[in-house]
Amino acid sequence: MTGKERLLRALEKRGVRHIFGYTGGAIMPVFDSMDKLGIFKFVMSRHEQGATFMAQGVSRASLSTDDPQIGVCMATSGPGAMNLTTGIADAHMDSVPMIAVTGQVATGVIATDAFQESDVVGVMMPICKQTYMPLEADEIEKTVHEAFYVATTGRPGPVLLDIPKDVLNQQVSKDYKFSLENLRPNLPGFFYHPTPARAPVKKAIELINRSERPVIFCGHGVIGSNAGKLLQALAEKAKIPVAFTLHGLSAMQADHPLSLGMMGMHGTVEANRAISEADLLISFGMRFDDRVTGKLNEYAQNADVIHVEIDPSEIDKNVATTVAINADVYRTLHVLVGDPMLTAKPRRRWHARIDEFRQVMADDLRKEIKGGLGDEGKLLMKTIVSQLSDMTQGQDIVVPDVGQHQMMAARFYNYQTPNSWFASGGAGTMGASLPMAIGVKLVRPDERVWSISGDGGFQMNMQELGTIMEHKIDVKIVIFNNGYLGMVRQWQTLFFDGRYAGTPMLSPDYGQIASAYGIPYRKIETLDQIAPAIQEAIDLEGAIILEFICDPSEVILPMIPAGGGFDDMIIKRPMPQKKGGKK
Amino acid sequence: MKRRAILAYLLDHPGVLQKVSMLIRKKMYNVDTLTVCKSRKPGISRMTITLREDDEARVSQVIHQLEKFTEVISAKELDTDHSYWREAAIIKLEIDSTQLEALHSEYKFEILDHKNHDTHIIQIAGSTRKIDAFVAQLGEEHIIEISRTGVAALEK
Ligand SMILES: Cc1ncc(C[n+]2csc(CCOP(=O)(O)OP(=O)(O)O)c2C)c(N)n1
Ligand SMILES: [Mg+2]
Repeated sequence: MTGKERLLRALEKRGVRHIFGYTGGAIMPVFDSMDKLGIFKFVMSRHEQGATFMAQGVSRASLSTDDPQIGVCMATSGPGAMNLTTGIADAHMDSVPMIAVTGQVATGVIATDAFQESDVVGVMMPICKQTYMPLEADEIEKTVHEAFYVATTGRPGPVLLDIPKDVLNQQVSKDYKFSLENLRPNLPGFFYHPTPARAPVKKAIELINRSERPVIFCGHGVIGSNAGKLLQALAEKAKIPVAFTLHGLSAMQADHPLSLGMMGMHGTVEANRAISEADLLISFGMRFDDRVTGKLNEYAQNADVIHVEIDPSEIDKNVATTVAINADVYRTLHVLVGDPMLTAKPRRRWHARIDEFRQVMADDLRKEIKGGLGDEGKLLMKTIVSQLSDMTQGQDIVVPDVGQHQMMAARFYNYQTPNSWFASGGAGTMGASLPMAIGVKLVRPDERVWSISGDGGFQMNMQELGTIMEHKIDVKIVIFNNGYLGMVRQWQTLFFDGRYAGTPMLSPDYGQIASAYGIPYRKIETLDQIAPAIQEAIDLEGAIILEFICDPSEVILPMIPAGGGFDDMIIKRPMPQKKGGKK
Repeated sequence: MKRRAILAYLLDHPGVLQKVSMLIRKKMYNVDTLTVCKSRKPGISRMTITLREDDEARVSQVIHQLEKFTEVISAKELDTDHSYWREAAIIKLEIDSTQLEALHSEYKFEILDHKNHDTHIIQIAGSTRKIDAFVAQLGEEHIIEISRTGVAALEK
């Protein structure tokens, strides 16, 4: 048996069923064996970046199913590998487990600037959880298993294997033996503390019992450890409101009475005000990134902080903790919920105060959504998302791209299904949605998947329509076409005196694009066309493109300007002209 | 700014040193010296990093970030009062013999070679401060070439 066959057998053993990628000189031996073996469904992306997001979609969406899988993408050396970087960096930022396999030029010519040689390990090191370059066929299988272990254990992340072509083709040695059961990766420096220590848990419970104005933070770690139900149980038991990070969305039902919605830059008034006035933040699996905290020295000044987090380097990184619990979120919640010391306190004053916050923007938003049209008489994204939410009872899967439409989808879809929201968050990579939705659909075939993009982001990876066409993937593709890079335009409106530099954009005729790929298409320009178009997409079996013509003047509010504090939250249009906003 | 020393044990794997130096660049730490040598155990290296940092939180971040690498077995800060920090230097200098004698009685360095009547190669070891003081007293103009090892540190 050869190295490449060992590689594929190891992937099979790890439960991999889909391989996303693109072939080329250095990786083609693997593709050849893959074809002969016939055990994987190979999905060719039209650009290697597409493959990385498809792989992410698999990892993210399947983790809550009975059959969790790790997404695998493959590319050839040099340019193929370099095209993986954006999606790998994105997975690294969002702690998504993923395996990337690249072919490398043969060991004999490495470091000679051979054709399509690049230092892939050198480039990937800072954006991967770990990188490997096996130099013997005998090493490959063991390395693949170690890679899966590292990618999925503790805080997850992407792992790269860069394998020279001759090593792929090499026969394993005669006395080669491998047993997964006996594999003990040599990782003396890889620590992982899933079980919470008793002392901080006790302290945390004391703080919770004592607090008058607590807020629970639901982060990506809650989704990653499938702990939504337990988080909800804790919130209900102790009567504590819950605010969500972008990645925490859909861990609990969005309209749960204790939900405050999303926190941070484009978070709800109720979430952000509650955080400002809180005396205790109980955060689960999140990292207090700047889009969540705003100006750090003004952040939640009167609050103690309990931080439950699997990655010790996140504790005390941005926000000083009162109690640190370095452990798995699920296990910690399990202990907290079951602890008889945890008392139920009605906290009526706190909930009354939060109800006041809920009212601050409620009327304005209700009116806007009902009106449905912006200054230029075109459709509002929030109205479309609200209708989509109503018509699907909030049951469907939403995969947004990056921009205003993403924040609209985060705020106005009423998430009911656990783990039904998959977004590029930490990196905010435009173009992520369409390929990610493909990966999601492959592992959640019985659920409806909506890919929602802006006109900008859609054009970044619309070549993946080819993949959708070829594999007949049933993704409902929504384009919110406002003729602008809307999110940047919003900043220009607010902080650059309305100078729209580099943001207006022409789109191609999406109807013709759709027909070129044989995908049905509808253009929606008026309010009365919204519901029938959505209904058609729901009823149709297979992909469809819905292009909504949206109003460029729409803004997503509230907004805390970058580098600002929660007191700087903008909640009203017309917006004040502020100087000095920087991205 | 306060000088700190961090001691780390790590697997002797290709790329680890690159990771550590990338971390230093990415997080913009003010690193003065970085030395790596074999440890008592085969396959495991010992690394000493000295840096300038007043902020305790940033120092513990360095340690956490180092420990995050799967190759790093452990990392910790060495307390200045409870550890020895030493470095060595080899210096080629041009100075007349009487001056050299005077310095020698004060600094106790070892003379490795007299290249000619006023060019010498010496070896000096001790605390960073001692070497700095020696270099200052000698005067830059007398130094032809200097090679310093960087700090090696050990707990008391
Ligand atoms: C790859 C990439 N390039 C640039 C950006 C910066 N950026 C963030 S949002 C945005 C505008 C997105 O425009 P569009 O896709 O039309 O969505 P809209 O905001 O209009 O809904 C830009 C340019 C980014 N996030 N990703
Ligand atoms: Mg747009």
